[in-house]
Formats: sequence, C-alpha cells, structure tokens
Amino acid sequence: MSAAVAVALIVLLTLLIGLRGVAAMRTTSDFLVASRQVSPLVNSAAVSGEYLSAASFLGVAGIMLSDGVGALWYPVGFTAGYIAMLVLVAAPLRRSGALTVPDFAEARLASPGLRRVAAVVVLIIAGLYLVPQFRTAGLVLSVVSGTPYWVGVVLAGTVVSATLALGGMRAATYVQAFQFCLKLTLFIVPAVWLLLQAGPSVRHDALHPVEITRFAEDTPVVFQVDVVLEVGEPTPVRGPDGAVSVLPVGEHEITAGRTVVFGSGAPVPGLRGADVPGGHDWRRPLLDLENAEHPLLGTWAVLVATMFGTMGLPHVLVRFHTSPDGRSARRTAALTVVLLGVFYLFPGIYGALGRVLVPHLYLSGVTDVLVVALPTQVDAGWQGTLFTALLTGGAFAAFLATSLGLLLVVSGAISHDLAAGGLGQLRVAVVLAAAVVVLLALQATHLAAGTLVTWGFSVAAATFCPLLVLGIWWRRLTSAGALSGVLVGLTASSAAIAATLFGPPLPGWLAILVAQPAPWAVPLAFATMVVVSLRGYPPPWAEAAMLRLHLDEESRSAQRVR
Amino acid sequence: MSGRRRVTVMSPQTRVAHARRVVRRRWRAPRLDPAEARRARRLYLAQSRRGAVTLSALFTLLFGLPVLFALAPALDEVRLYSIPLSWLLLVVVPFPAMAALAWWQLRRADKAEDR
Repeated sequence: MSAAVAVALIVLLTLLIGLRGVAAMRTTSDFLVASRQVSPLVNSAAVSGEYLSAASFLGVAGIMLSDGVGALWYPVGFTAGYIAMLVLVAAPLRRSGALTVPDFAEARLASPGLRRVAAVVVLIIAGLYLVPQFRTAGLVLSVVSGTPYWVGVVLAGTVVSATLALGGMRAATYVQAFQFCLKLTLFIVPAVWLLLQAGPSVRHDALHPVEITRFAEDTPVVFQVDVVLEVGEPTPVRGPDGAVSVLPVGEHEITAGRTVVFGSGAPVPGLRGADVPGGHDWRRPLLDLENAEHPLLGTWAVLVATMFGTMGLPHVLVRFHTSPDGRSARRTAALTVVLLGVFYLFPGIYGALGRVLVPHLYLSGVTDVLVVALPTQVDAGWQGTLFTALLTGGAFAAFLATSLGLLLVVSGAISHDLAAGGLGQLRVAVVLAAAVVVLLALQATHLAAGTLVTWGFSVAAATFCPLLVLGIWWRRLTSAGALSGVLVGLTASSAAIAATLFGPPLPGWLAILVAQPAPWAVPLAFATMVVVSLRGYPPPWAEAAMLRLHLDEESRSAQRVR
Repeated sequence: MSGRRRVTVMSPQTRVAHARRVVRRRWRAPRLDPAEARRARRLYLAQSRRGAVTLSALFTLLFGLPVLFALAPALDEVRLYSIPLSWLLLVVVPFPAMAALAWWQLRRADKAEDR
C-alpha cells in the first residue's frame, strides 16, 4: 500500500514538474529540442535521468544475482559510451544544426531516402527499448501493490504521453533532471541503510559467497515466467494448497504463474542457462554469457555492445541537440560520465546482498524485482516497508524518465522525419505512439526485458554508431555507403537476435556471438559503409559538409561580425 | 535557462533542409569561406589526433581489465577490507578513471578551439 503511495507521489511530481515546461511551448523546435537553451549541468542530469532506465535501477543487480559479479561490466560499458560520445559525436552533432538523427543524416549526406530509413531505425530501437520499460512498470506495480499487470502499463503510458504531449522536450528535460536526483537519492540511501541494517553475518556472507545448495527455510518461489528447472536429486515441494509432491531427477518445465514452496533443507534445483548464485563462475568478475565457458569473449562482447550501442541510442543523441552550442554539448557528455559513475557504484551492493537474502529469486526467472524485495528481508517493520516504498518510487521514476525520452524520439521520427508535420501533429504522434507501445507491452509479459534491450543496443550499435562516426570523421562517405551500411547492420543484428530467440541452441563461442552480435555486426556495418563509399564518389560539397561540423560557433560568429 | 531570449532553430543548414522540404528545390551545398575552411580543417585534424589518444586509453582500460582478471584469478582470493580485490577493481577503478579521462579530453578539446 505504501509503495502505491510512493508511486502515486512520483507520478504526481512528474506531472507537476512537467507543467512548468508547458507554458513556454510554441514551436517544433521547443517540442523536439527545448529551443537549445539547456545548460550542461541540467542537460547532463537529464541525460543521466533518461539513461538510468529500469535496466540500470533494477536490472544490473538482478543480472548480478543470476549471472554473477561479472554483471557489473554492464554499467562500465554504459558509462564508457559517453566518453566515446564526447570524443566522436557530441560537439559535431550539435553543430550540424539538425533536430533529430535522421535530420543529421540528411544534412550531412543530402539523401531523403537515408532520412526515411534512419527514421524507421529510430522507431525500431525505441520500440525495442520502450516495451520493456512499460512491461517492468506493470510487473513492479503488480508485485508491490497487487494490481493487475495492465494497470501499471496503462498508468505509465498515460503519465508519459500526457507530460510529453503537453510540454515536449522542455517538460521532459525538467522531469528527467529532477528524476535523476530522485533516483540517485532513492538508490543510494536504501543501499547504505541495507548495509548497516543487514548485520555483520549477512555482510560477511555477501563478501564470502558460497554456492547455495539447500534452502535454509521454507521458501515460496513465485514463477513469473516459464523456466526450465534442472533437478539433480529428488526434491520434495509443496503447492500453494499444501499438497506435497516430489520433483524427480531431470528437467522440469514450470509455467508462469505457478507458486512452489521448497521445504527447509530441500536441495536447490539448477536453472537452465544460469549459474547457481555463489558458485565459482558466479564469483569471477567476468561475464560467462550463455554459459559458453568463454568468459573473456563474453565480457568483451558485452562491453562492445553497451559502449557502441550507447553511442547510437537516438533518445540519448537527441539530448545533445538541446545544448546551446557544441562546447556545452561536449560538457554535457563529460558531466554525464561523472554522474553515471556515482550511480553505478551502488548496484553491486544490491546484487551482493540479494545473493545472501533472496537467492531463490533467481529461480523465479524475474530477478528484476530483487532490489525492491530486499528491504523487507532486512527489516520486517515499518522501516522495511518505507524503504521498499522508496525503491519502488525510484524504479517508477526510472521507467518514466526513460520512456519520456524514447517516446519523444518516436514522435519526432514519425512526425518530423517521416511526415513534415508541425507541433499539433507531434502531439498527436506522442499519444498514438504511446497507445501502440502500451498495446505491445500488454502482450509482452513473457519476453525477457534483457533480450529486448540487448536487441535495441545491438541495432543502435550497428546502425547509428557507424553512420555518425563516419559521417562526422570521414569525408568520403557517400549516401549509398551510409544507406547500405545501416541496412546491413540492421539486418545482421536483428537476424542474430531472432536466431537466439527462435533458433536452436548453439555451442561455445558461437552462442555468444549470436546472442550478442555487436562484436561482428558493428565492424560489418562499418566495413560495408567504407567499401560501398569507396566504390562511388562523394559529391563535391561533401568535404565542406563534413568540415563545417568541426567549426566552432565562436569563430563562425566572429567571421560574421567582421 | 529561462533568462535568455528563446530563439528558433539557428543553423543555416537546417533552415535549408526545412525550406527544401517545403519547396522541393535542389540541395544547396553548405559553403565555408576560405578562412573558415582553413580553421575547420585545422580543428578537424587537432580533434581527431586528441580523440584518438583518448579512445586508445579508454579501450586499453576497458578491454585490458578483463584480460587481467582472466590471467590472474588469484585477485579473487586477495582481500582488501575483506572485499575480494577483483570485485573492488571492477567497481572502484573504471568509474573514477573514466571520469578523469572525460575531463582530460574535455579540456584538451576546448583548448584546441581556444586557439
């Protein structure tokens, strides 16, 4: 109940702060880029607020429970993306004068076809990223307050689209910057409290992990998604009605929605595709993706995907357009590295404590709720309830801030890039896009958020990252090269992910490269762009178009005064 | 943010792009006068050199640290304040190092434009 109050408060604050941005909204430029008047500090807080999605607030600790300490590489890659952005993209992108990424593509290469393809890629990435946000909103709300799944999804959709349709980027900036501060506080304070409250023995266990082999007490596990359990010895379990049965040795498919109570002392079954928390592989600071026994390759694959994917995320890129000039765009990127770094010092604490306090969550298949489940394990009284409420509020702020940015680029892509629309059309596009995403999210309970977000990152890494890097730094890029590179990257990354979802299981390093296609899809997209460009000739103005991206504003205005 | 007068889109390039969409004229190439072109070329070279140094440092840090962990599993057993050293390295080294790298790159990039 108190968690529901916290969520209501967050929603109310979002709308109130969003209202501040409403009064000053008159033009398309206001709507899409807040008229480029956002200071670096506010902007970097907004970038961080938008970037720290459900995947960061809840997901990293959850992945740590199911995959081990190596999960902490994800935040490292997320943050590193902003350094690459600072070096390669921030200032030139702002100086292009474009409003959206497709706008940039057309401004640099003068190809309306490329603009349309880029707009479609924006829609794909944003869709892959938005659906899991709304899905997690529904799941978390149903866990903490017992509402049906659809209530959380519809609530998130309504709040986000109302804020955006009324206030555009200006409202989104205020809301996201505020929500970053909120998320930082709501993440750090409970972490410190948990550490202090957990007591010396839990702290010791957290730092000296041992593989859990037997349940210490009667443990009910609610299976939220379909999972396959690997049972090594006959395991007695009870149903929710108290009927006792024995799981024989072998693999068991458990359907979503079932509750199984493992008795005290019962052996812990394995889960297909996951390490048992606390085991040797779990303790290693490397990511053994797909349990393929190639931890170094797995770690590198994740780093490439997260770093280059971040560079291509349209909702992050659009935030650099809101800076007044190239210099402050660069400052925004640098400050973001610092702000994200502070936040990412903490997910490890939740992951390590979660392994001790709620290890059985990894069986349920939904480790995302780990963070929210911790406080009541440490303190059954009002304090535990309070901190659960705070963390739920923070998680909700995470969905809202990220969804705001994503929905904005979706409506921008539809109404600014695909159709030449004005402000009214942008507003309608927001509401329609939100409605479509809500409908998709209602069907997506069983889809793992991680898969979709990985997919989104891979597509971004293999399409927009090469397009921007070569567009900004290579004068010989032609529109045919850019177009074919984007299409090849899109096809390669999507085909690989589709193969993981629907294809047969693969052995060894092949499994890693199919589940995490960025390490080969990104070079492939770069190579395609280069080879196709070299076979053609760039137009005579191409060099000037590239060089002007590197010209600082001061010298431009100085020239004009003289 | 609220103090300054709000302006609509500034870049001539975007204005051209927008005008083109309305009237469907042929693409007018962006122009740079010779002094601007010289300065832009100098900045392009300076920034690409500086950027390459920063990116090499970043890649060495990111792709090297996992190699260190893979080659030296003993780091898992060494403990500092009872925290396994490899865990500590994974959290406490990359983030401050990346923040420092970002500030260093920012200062050098700004300096290239001050000249």
